[in-house]
Amino acid sequence: MVVGEIPVSADLVVVGAGPGGYAAALRGAQLGRDVVLIDRDGPDGVGGVCLNVGCIPSKALIETANHLDHANTMSHTGLRFDGATVDMNAWQQWKGTVVDGLTGGIRQLLRTAGVSVITGHARLSRADQLVVTDPVRPLALAQYFQFNDLVLATGSRPAELPGLARDGITILNSTDVLALDHLPERIAVIGAGYIGLELGTALAKLGAKVTIVEYASRVLPTMDAMFARPIDRRLRQLGIEVRLNTAAVSFGDGVLDLASSETPSQIRADIVVVAVGRIPNTDQLGLDAAGIMVDSRGLVPVGADRRARRHIAAIGDIVTGPALAHKATAEADVAVEALCGHPAAFAPATIPAVVFCDPELASAGITVDEGRAAGIDIDCVTIPMGASGRAATMDARDGFVQLVWERDTQTVVGVHIAGAHASELIAEAVLAIEMAATLEDVAGSIHAHPTLSEQLGEAAHLALGRPVHVPARR
Amino acid sequence: MAEFDFPMPDVGEGLSEAEIVEWVVAVGDLVEEDHPVVVVQTDKAVVDIPAPTSGRLVAQAAAVGEIVLIGSTLFRLDAVGAVPDLGTPRHARPATPATVIAPEPTAAAEPAPTRKPKASPATRKRALDLGLVLADVTGTGPGGRITTADVEAAVGATKTPRSTVGTGAPKPALPAPLLHPPGEDRVEPLRGTRRQIARSMTESWRTVPHVTELRELDATELIRAHRTLRQHLADRDIKLTLLPLFVAASAAALREHPTFNASLDYDNEMITYRARCNIGIAMSTEDGLVVPVIHDADQLSIEEIARRIDALNTAARTRTLTVDQLSGGTFTISNYGSYGTWMGTPIIRPPEAAIVGFGRVKDAVVAHEGQPVVKPILPMAVSADHRLNDGHHLGAFVSTIERYLTNPVLLLAGHPAQGGS
Repeated sequence: MVVGEIPVSADLVVVGAGPGGYAAALRGAQLGRDVVLIDRDGPDGVGGVCLNVGCIPSKALIETANHLDHANTMSHTGLRFDGATVDMNAWQQWKGTVVDGLTGGIRQLLRTAGVSVITGHARLSRADQLVVTDPVRPLALAQYFQFNDLVLATGSRPAELPGLARDGITILNSTDVLALDHLPERIAVIGAGYIGLELGTALAKLGAKVTIVEYASRVLPTMDAMFARPIDRRLRQLGIEVRLNTAAVSFGDGVLDLASSETPSQIRADIVVVAVGRIPNTDQLGLDAAGIMVDSRGLVPVGADRRARRHIAAIGDIVTGPALAHKATAEADVAVEALCGHPAAFAPATIPAVVFCDPELASAGITVDEGRAAGIDIDCVTIPMGASGRAATMDARDGFVQLVWERDTQTVVGVHIAGAHASELIAEAVLAIEMAATLEDVAGSIHAHPTLSEQLGEAAHLALGRPVHVPARR
Repeated sequence: MAEFDFPMPDVGEGLSEAEIVEWVVAVGDLVEEDHPVVVVQTDKAVVDIPAPTSGRLVAQAAAVGEIVLIGSTLFRLDAVGAVPDLGTPRHARPATPATVIAPEPTAAAEPAPTRKPKASPATRKRALDLGLVLADVTGTGPGGRITTADVEAAVGATKTPRSTVGTGAPKPALPAPLLHPPGEDRVEPLRGTRRQIARSMTESWRTVPHVTELRELDATELIRAHRTLRQHLADRDIKLTLLPLFVAASAAALREHPTFNASLDYDNEMITYRARCNIGIAMSTEDGLVVPVIHDADQLSIEEIARRIDALNTAARTRTLTVDQLSGGTFTISNYGSYGTWMGTPIIRPPEAAIVGFGRVKDAVVAHEGQPVVKPILPMAVSADHRLNDGHHLGAFVSTIERYLTNPVLLLAGHPAQGGS
């Protein structure tokens, strides 16, 4: 330290106001700690990527796109719209009110809990001190915080591709796409992971000509192959061209250069959306000062209680595990409780994953392949969503429910769903897996009729050899 | 997937065993390559033992607080990929009976590597609160499911549940508490750094006959030199304390008095005179006392000594001291003045031969040429192994330290060539 830098003492400091950070701040306040929450964007950053430029606005876009798609494609059900369209300007305004409403609510919660929100880049200057600089006013005096405990929840940012560096005008990342106030005619999406698929599908439904470029040999390369089939079919139906085994090389003058094992090719595009994963925000944190070394992926090594040091915890996208908002929120409780001296461990039976493409996908627990690889004696049944009466009335018969169980104990260990509202249906599966429910538990829980949720009950009945609406297994 | 036993690695020179401080990874959990699996404590340091490869932890060979010998099995891992070549003959060494891995007691007899104990989140939380490992509990529910009742039964009916604290809800008004509410005695095992300190101190007290000399030094010149040096070094981002000057003076004195930079092997009746002058600095941490070492302190500038002390301080605070940083000391300084102590009687750290303690500098009225004058006084205490040094040797050694500290300019002279004594 140089003379003049007088640290402010702080009890519990949380860096990053996303779904991990704000939850940690609120939990800290509940446990009687004096909490300082530091975010790059200060009060405007509350909610993080998730609420401001990620989960929430993308779901708003997908919702609007789905309504438009239904309006234009469900004439066989008697529905008549003539050439329904979407006004992207009006959509932006609506999205803004949605986001502002939610983030405003969290700001209010933080205020009520007595959490002070500080604007700035935080970096460790010592193992027990943070220096916070204001990105907007670089000449302003840096603030020093001497903390008793620290939670790092700095999240991640979109990865860039060499040759396709974001310019925010024609080469966009996921954040930029959600800020579009008009719909480009031709859009190339690089990456068929869940972000690329969600955005690509929505943009196509809104009326753009979408091409998805994927380096791997199938869409959703990190998920089980069973999910690719219903998605492939629907992408074709929506007129989305998918280029697999293909790399995007460069973009200029409306032409995207591609490279694949066969020949180089080009496609025309007004904008390119790069959605090739996210990288953890750990490079500017000064972790060295606390003797913390990140691993080769930039993640902070932590114990089960999410502590990297006795007084420093890390949660969310900067630690091991899926980079999902609900995982960060769950880790927040564990980290703060551990820092407050309570026994705590992050050991969920499952962290569900949901993808809002068409049909929706949701997964909890292990897949058959994962179970076999782990040496578990495993069995599974898969039933089509089309067998559901409710799915028929929704004109949403695509998809399936797969139930995976451990053979000797009949314990449910995995549920994988493709279909309308799969993202909601998975909640029952998560509870079943967490409670170590058996097939009889699921089959014996009465599912309301007529709902999509009946399919999980039906799957359990099928597994037990007494199905009603599908043929018995041989 | 393949299971293999990972032996306790050799974490530092000449160490034969380590104590388990904390299992970072629970049985049944996945761990990634190079992530810590277990924290162990040796005589010298707390060390994270990382996983040699990614995989699932199948068994822990010892519980927290138990001692594991170097080379005997520490944990069993079910590797995700190929089993790494551990490449040491130690791996083949038979495990001692104390650390043989017992198969994980799951409900099913056959080892099912990735099975987690079946229990609801509420039951798992209860087990965590009670400090219980779920894998050790036999489930009585359907399919071997562990119920909350199973967990509570495993802990024993006598154990009263812990009170929950800090739920954030306003606390109901209570009758005025007693000024000194009667509590219950708390009994806990002697573990970790505290155990190391206890062992080392007992060993010293039992085997080394201490002789201690106390002296008060006129610190006028020392304070002046310190003030000048501090301003000079402030430009180099060093906040100089008195400690680097104590180190330099002690190192200079040790060079002139080799019997204080020595160690006695009483059993074999041999005396070793140390070639290097490695000065340990006693530092208090949350875990207890640690003594990281400034190696070859006699060859370092005040600036370099200050930098090393800073680095050791940071490492001590963050529990990242390495075995090397804690090894090889030949003499120790206890700077107990930093917590306000006036004078103390420091205890030697065997096999070292002496230790010096410095108290807090404060103004005192002293007689000077027949008049009372106020001077800054530095209290100093040196304890020596009386088997190696007599009272007059000790007096001479203390006088040499005094000479350097009361005339710090002498520290500029450098040290006499090696070998002469």
